Amino acid sequence: MIRAWWQGLQERCKTCSRVTLGLGILVAGFAVSGVLLAAGAAGLAWTNTEGFCIGCHEMRDNVYAEFKDSIHDKNRSGVRAVCSDCHVPREPVPMLQRKVRATFELWGHLIGAVDTKEKFEKHRYELAKRVWARMKQTDSHECRNCHHADAMDPDKQSDKAKARHAKGKAEGKTCIDCHFGIAHKEPDGPGPQELKF
Amino acid sequence: MIRLIRVLPVLALLPFAPAALAQDVSAAEGLLKKSGCTKCHSVSAKKEGPSFKETAAKYKGKPGGEAALAKHLTTNPKVKVDGKEELHDSLKTKSDADLKNVIQYILSR
Repeated sequence: MIRAWWQGLQERCKTCSRVTLGLGILVAGFAVSGVLLAAGAAGLAWTNTEGFCIGCHEMRDNVYAEFKDSIHDKNRSGVRAVCSDCHVPREPVPMLQRKVRATFELWGHLIGAVDTKEKFEKHRYELAKRVWARMKQTDSHECRNCHHADAMDPDKQSDKAKARHAKGKAEGKTCIDCHFGIAHKEPDGPGPQELKF
Repeated sequence: MIRLIRVLPVLALLPFAPAALAQDVSAAEGLLKKSGCTKCHSVSAKKEGPSFKETAAKYKGKPGGEAALAKHLTTNPKVKVDGKEELHDSLKTKSDADLKNVIQYILSR
C-alpha cells in the first residue's frame, strides 16, 4: 500500500527526485505532527479551564457553588486555585492518565449519576473519598504545587499551626489528612486520617 | 377562659415554630470556617479536636449543654491537645444570634 502510494507520488511529480520527494514528505509530516500536537495541547489546556469544568450543571451547581468564596476562590492576595489546580496533575504523563480516567465521568454524566442535588449528596462521600485516596497516594502533590513545605516560614505561622505541622510531619501525614473540606463541603463519614489504602 | 386567651397566640404561632427556629446551616458553616474552627474540628472525621458529632453526642439534650457550649465558644478556655494546654479560640462574632445558630448547628450534627 505504501509502495503504491509512493509510486503514485512519483508519477504525479515526475520532475522530483526521490530525495526531494522524501524530504517533502518529512517536512509535511513534521508540519502535520506539529499542528496535531499543538491542537492536542490546546485541547488539553482547554479541559483544564474553569469554564470547561463548570460546563456541566453537576459541577456548576454542586462542587463549584461550594468552591465560590472559599479561600481558594477569593482571598486577600487574589491568587486563585481553580478546579484543575487541585484535581489535575501538571506533569504530562500523570495529567494524561487523569484525563483518561476522567472520561469515565462522561459516562456518569450521560446516565445522570449525579444530576440532582439528592443524587450528588448520596454520592458525595464516595466522590470525596476517591479524591482523598489519590491525594494520599501522591503525598498531596497538587497542594504542594503551590504550598512548598520548604518555603513555609514557621515564624510567620501561629503557634498552633507550627505545632500541628511539626506533629503531622513527624507522623508522616500529608496535607489532605488535615486540610480537607476546604473548597467543598465535608462529607459525612470517616476522614482521610481514618482511611486505609 | 382567660388562660385559653393567653395561650391562643402561642398556639397560633406553633405551625411556624420550625421555621422560626430553623438554623442557617450555611451561615453557621461560614462562621465556623471564618473563625478557624475547622482547622481542628470537622463534622464527623478525625482531627485534633473532637468532631461536631462527638460534641453533639456529649451535649445534645443535656441540661446546661447549650450554655456549656456557649461558654466554650466565647471565653477562650484552656484545652489539652496532645497533652499540652492551649487556649481555645473563640467564634469571630459578637452576635448572640450567630452564636446560637452555630450551637444549634453543632448540636444537630
